[in-house]
Amino acid sequence: MNTIINVKNISKSYSRGLLALDNVSLKVNQGKVLVIMGPSGSGKSTLIRTFNGLEAFDSGEINILGIKINQYHNERRIQKIRKRVGMVFQQFNLFPHLSILDNITLAPLNVQKRSRVDAEEYGMYLLNQMGISMHAEKYPSQLSGGEQQRVAIARALALKPEVLLFDEPTSALDPERINEVLDVMRKLAQDGMTMVVVTHEINFAKDVSDHILFMDSGKVIETSTPDIFFSNAKHERSRKFLNQLNK
Amino acid sequence: MYLKKIKNYIQKLKEILLLNSLNNFLTILLISTILILSIQSFNWVIFNSKWSVVTANVPLFAFGTFPEEQRWRPIIWIVSLFLISFLSIIPPKWKWLRKNLLIAWIGTIPLGIFLLYGGLGLQTVMSRNFGGLTLTILLTVFSSIFALPIGIALAFCRQSSLFVVKKLSSIYIDSMRAVPLIAVLFFGQLLIPLFLPLGVEIDRVWRAIFAFTLFVSAYIAEDIRGGLQAIPNTQIESARSLGLNQFQIIRFILIPQSLRIALPALTNQAIGLFQNTSLMSILGLVELLGVGRSILANPKFIGQYIEVYIWLASVYWLICTIMALIAKYVEKRLKIA
Repeated sequence: MNTIINVKNISKSYSRGLLALDNVSLKVNQGKVLVIMGPSGSGKSTLIRTFNGLEAFDSGEINILGIKINQYHNERRIQKIRKRVGMVFQQFNLFPHLSILDNITLAPLNVQKRSRVDAEEYGMYLLNQMGISMHAEKYPSQLSGGEQQRVAIARALALKPEVLLFDEPTSALDPERINEVLDVMRKLAQDGMTMVVVTHEINFAKDVSDHILFMDSGKVIETSTPDIFFSNAKHERSRKFLNQLNK
Repeated sequence: MYLKKIKNYIQKLKEILLLNSLNNFLTILLISTILILSIQSFNWVIFNSKWSVVTANVPLFAFGTFPEEQRWRPIIWIVSLFLISFLSIIPPKWKWLRKNLLIAWIGTIPLGIFLLYGGLGLQTVMSRNFGGLTLTILLTVFSSIFALPIGIALAFCRQSSLFVVKKLSSIYIDSMRAVPLIAVLFFGQLLIPLFLPLGVEIDRVWRAIFAFTLFVSAYIAEDIRGGLQAIPNTQIESARSLGLNQFQIIRFILIPQSLRIALPALTNQAIGLFQNTSLMSILGLVELLGVGRSILANPKFIGQYIEVYIWLASVYWLICTIMALIAKYVEKRLKIA
């Protein structure tokens, strides 16, 4: 089994001396889904954003797809990672001045230098997969939140990434719209995509994930399989968190 | 009990009547004032004024002293400008056209130079023969097309993390904004020739365009900077996560979005620039206002300044309204996008 993401002892502190990440280590293997859970402010988002260099860290090392990054921000290596790792954000972050199809083809055209015909064909294929090909010519503001998030997933997939990072992809959605996004993510997991997902969706975590990583105040509290985590969590802190969520 | 109610009622009636009578009085006063004024001005415009001062000089107002048999050249240029403006506001269906619109706008500069100055088979015309509306439009269009990229560059430099670049552009922008336009124009007309080596001479029209560009680009830079600050950081983050480099982020994300946000302010600059070109009439360029002044200096038309200035005001008004309308349509179109 290939290790795709290998994080070794990374730490990050903010200027106030507050530790955002405290000696975090984790591994994600090829084709596996890691779900990161934890209360807000626990450093989940900070952690996932270090994987593609959106967030710098102070010590430790990340090896992702064989590319190593450390505290010295090496822009060229990070650029290499970003070409192979897709990311989906909580607030979709689509480009409002570009049509849906242009949002998706922007990176393939300019980063991978693919031909327009090729990029648009693949973009339409992805939109079809997401069930929103009829919106290709519209602009982001004309779509609902769930549709926008599916466009964002298609945009991340357009670069044919080997890993997908999801930073609370359903937290900004209406309850009725959450499932249309989760279904897309389930399908991706079934197709063997390696994924790291920060989420509060328990059912998604139970069904789809291979591992759950629970964090609190920058520390990894426990890592276990979903069966064990949801039925018989090792730590008092995890159990307390799960009780809160179930209420 | 009843008495009190009736008293109240009368009191209210009094208030209403008094208020109403005051209202009525004001309405009648206003209507009669407007009526008298419009009858007076109508009377003057139709019967008392001598519009021959305008009708006899229409070519002068339009082209200045551009040679008569060559007047088709500025006409073609101005018509092509209107055509491109019109193409800029049609619905966003013709994708290829939208992509080439920028090139078309930039292309109006060499086209204008070729058509107005001549050469390459056309009879050459000296810039001292440029004038009237042609010169006004020339100054406006050239200065705004040159000032826009310079303004964008200045805005990005001011946001730069490099200290020297940042400071230099701040100093430039702040000092330009601290100087009145007329001073910059004087600098262009009177001082630039002194700095140039003997024998080298820059056309007066180009010196004016240079001065306007220097001045307006500072203001445009501030408008664009406002637009840049309104773009949320998450846009840059998501562009970076897609592997776009800094230059691509600026080109595909930051410039289009900041231009869209700054469009109303930029329209203001363009309209302001169009009106400010009239300052050149006191610096010896015979643009629209300059033509008016030189006609009034002609003994044949002496004292007919009201006609001339009303005519000039309506021409300025018309062009500014057209500019504002174009901007309004573009804004409307960009709103969905």
